[in-house]
Amino acid sequence: MKHEIKEIKKGIKFHTLNTDKFKTNLFAIFLTTKLNRENVTKNALISMLLRRGSMTMKSQEEISKKMEDLYGASFDCGLDKTGDNQVLKFYIEGINDKYLPEHNENILKTVIESLLDIVFNPYIENEGFKKDYFEQEKNNVKQRIEGKIDNKARYALERCIEEMYKNEPYGLYKFGYEEDLDKINEKDLYKYYKELINSCKIDIFLSGDLNNNVEKIIEENENIKKLQEREPDFEMPKIPEKDEGIQENVVTESMDVSQGKLVIGLNVNINNDEEKYWTLMYNSILGGSANSKLFQNVREKAHLAYVASSSYYRFKSIIFINSGIEISNYDKALEVIKEQIEEMKQGKFTEEEIENSKKGIIAAINTIDDEQDTGITYYFGQELSGSNVSEEDYIKKIENINKDNILDIANKVQINTIYFLKD
Amino acid sequence: MQIIENLKVKEKLYIEKLANGLTVMIIPKPGMKKKYMIWGTNYGSNDNKFIVPGEQEVTEVPNGVAHFLEHKLFEQADGTNSLDTLTALGVNANAYTTNEHTAYLFECTDNFYEAMDELMDYVQHPYFTDENVEKEKGIIGQEIRMYDDYPDWRVYLNTLNAMYYENPIKIDITGTIETISKIDKDILYKCYNTFYHPSNMAIAIAGDFKPEELLEEVKKRLIPNKPCGEIKRIYPDEPEEIVKPEVVQKLEVSNPIYTIGIKNIRNEKQSKSELVKKVLSMEILLNIIYGRSSKLYQELYKDGIIYGEPSLDYEFGKNYAHVLITGMSSNPREVYKAFKERVEELKNNGIDKNDFERLKKMIYGSYIKEYNDVQDIARMFLSDYFKGICSFDYLEEIEGINVEYLTQVLKDVFKEDKMVLSIVEN
Repeated sequence: MKHEIKEIKKGIKFHTLNTDKFKTNLFAIFLTTKLNRENVTKNALISMLLRRGSMTMKSQEEISKKMEDLYGASFDCGLDKTGDNQVLKFYIEGINDKYLPEHNENILKTVIESLLDIVFNPYIENEGFKKDYFEQEKNNVKQRIEGKIDNKARYALERCIEEMYKNEPYGLYKFGYEEDLDKINEKDLYKYYKELINSCKIDIFLSGDLNNNVEKIIEENENIKKLQEREPDFEMPKIPEKDEGIQENVVTESMDVSQGKLVIGLNVNINNDEEKYWTLMYNSILGGSANSKLFQNVREKAHLAYVASSSYYRFKSIIFINSGIEISNYDKALEVIKEQIEEMKQGKFTEEEIENSKKGIIAAINTIDDEQDTGITYYFGQELSGSNVSEEDYIKKIENINKDNILDIANKVQINTIYFLKD
Repeated sequence: MQIIENLKVKEKLYIEKLANGLTVMIIPKPGMKKKYMIWGTNYGSNDNKFIVPGEQEVTEVPNGVAHFLEHKLFEQADGTNSLDTLTALGVNANAYTTNEHTAYLFECTDNFYEAMDELMDYVQHPYFTDENVEKEKGIIGQEIRMYDDYPDWRVYLNTLNAMYYENPIKIDITGTIETISKIDKDILYKCYNTFYHPSNMAIAIAGDFKPEELLEEVKKRLIPNKPCGEIKRIYPDEPEEIVKPEVVQKLEVSNPIYTIGIKNIRNEKQSKSELVKKVLSMEILLNIIYGRSSKLYQELYKDGIIYGEPSLDYEFGKNYAHVLITGMSSNPREVYKAFKERVEELKNNGIDKNDFERLKKMIYGSYIKEYNDVQDIARMFLSDYFKGICSFDYLEEIEGINVEYLTQVLKDVFKEDKMVLSIVEN
């Protein structure tokens, strides 16, 4: 797979991943903007509203019918929090013409033009978003905000993040806040939308069996032509300031649950970008796989849980430990988990554990080319962190990590928050 | 090996049934680094009552044995755990249990044959002790508790319980804390020896391979086994009627979650081609009635009664078949009413030809998309195989579906007295 980037205009990049491995072409548009309380709810609302209709496809019904007619091209939207940014994501996946019963279609061109139309040419009336679409989507965003409690494990994680980042952008909920929703109207939101699309970072991705023509389709598109050049307004990940004096914050809350959900947020006080690779290795040994200390000790030896794992959020340099346990086993589980963090600090992990973790991480890097969305996510991550590490270089970096590097990270790890959701 | 080629999606299936009864399916994916191997047995949570080949009396086991076996098979006599061994090779290993089959799998880029050694070794060599069986009860107990907290899972199981009197489809795959307490090593060995015989199993592998060579590698790793007699599975007789029209459970959720179920058990035997056509027709029909572009969906969405898109499924297997429509709504009973009205309207006014043609194209495309990833491919061929279907059949049969056929299915399946409504709410 060949990854190429072309800057169409300042702040707007077109990435191509040319490959004939897939039956589909995946086209994506990502709008990246700074996360803040003022705009978080507006952005959530915009991401929901844009799917309702454009000036050429005026309703969801029209969009859906068009997609269905293209042999089920799938149109999808997402809203992410990546570091201190909010990312509005839009995708259409279309079948490659080669696999159609009739060969007279040009699905890719229609896919590209449709998505550009949906994102950059929304349905506008009287200088505002269409009133009834606006009201309906306000209601849907409200539901998303309330729906935070529906998945209890995810809710516990969200709550842990909020506790760790009180009054900081990363502590904001990506769907925003109900009280802010009432202050927004369809005209102001449209004004804000115009500012957004002319100031945010725009990344356009196309993965599939491509020809030279695609660049032309994008560059000559009217919606693209209308966009201004910009100094993209987004947040590059920073090396977090050290906060050595941190006290463990213990938070316990109650809800109607039959299993306790334990989430532990760890700060990793790294000094530079290189140490992010070391942290990835540290996390893998701590709780990243079935061989990890958490899985082996919390689950296999103590039989306290079915889920016992950790995940690394490199944009914020934090690790979250997750486990679902019997509520009465809280103290026991916490003790076993803390022991694992302590053992890591003391260097009680073997060369074999290091080698195994390397193999697992390298295998994951090797699959980037074999999954269209993973390829896009990887290169978008590179783009947001301002780096351009090829898959080969990534593998080399992992191969070169030694025990001292991991031990170094282990001693930069601090428990920030222990969150427990019980009945 | 027999080669089946599909010219639409441009893929080939190599398939062979070995002398010991094991079926091996290989789908080559030149150029892919990822490789996926899955070994399944035609044995799931529904198989709780059966006659062991060569025996006379019926064996009945506690609910949750198939899933318990899935957990315990990784344990080795030398004290190692095969999941650890596979993970150490840098491969992504896992296993799962459904109502009808259990499967062991791994995905990798390197060390394929080393991983295959381990997978084929542990699936063929069970090692159960009183101690390791007891230990697992704590872990599975937490898996059961985890599902107790998923509203989506509750609303699903409640729907099945409202539809079925006897069929074990309505039972939790994991069993309950009470039923798994009765499981011991003798029960596990008995079920293992009955259902983990090559003639009851199939392997599917997708990746960049030469199929004939790969088949030899599979054969080399099989332990000698005599063909075995037929396993007699006993499923209870299930009436066509539903148990109760509505079921409500209280859970802490932001808005009510609903499932509309339609029971559709058919006692007469269907040919393979009929089965495939039925599935395809159901997919097209459900989208005509309540898909993204449907009138019903658009109206309910505009009125703010539903949030997000409903999922539309048709599930079928041994002695069961049903439709499941699941979503979130401020007023599930109104959704249910509107759904029934729309069905009646369609029955009376007929299916629109444009809707039909468009959604048929969409379903065709959805089957093409299944061939992007080695995991999707191998899993699809395995689970279809256990249902007696070759996955390519979907792409072949879809052309033969017309409005008349669809109208017949609409009348046969969407009957009001076979419908149930399940709600999870505050």
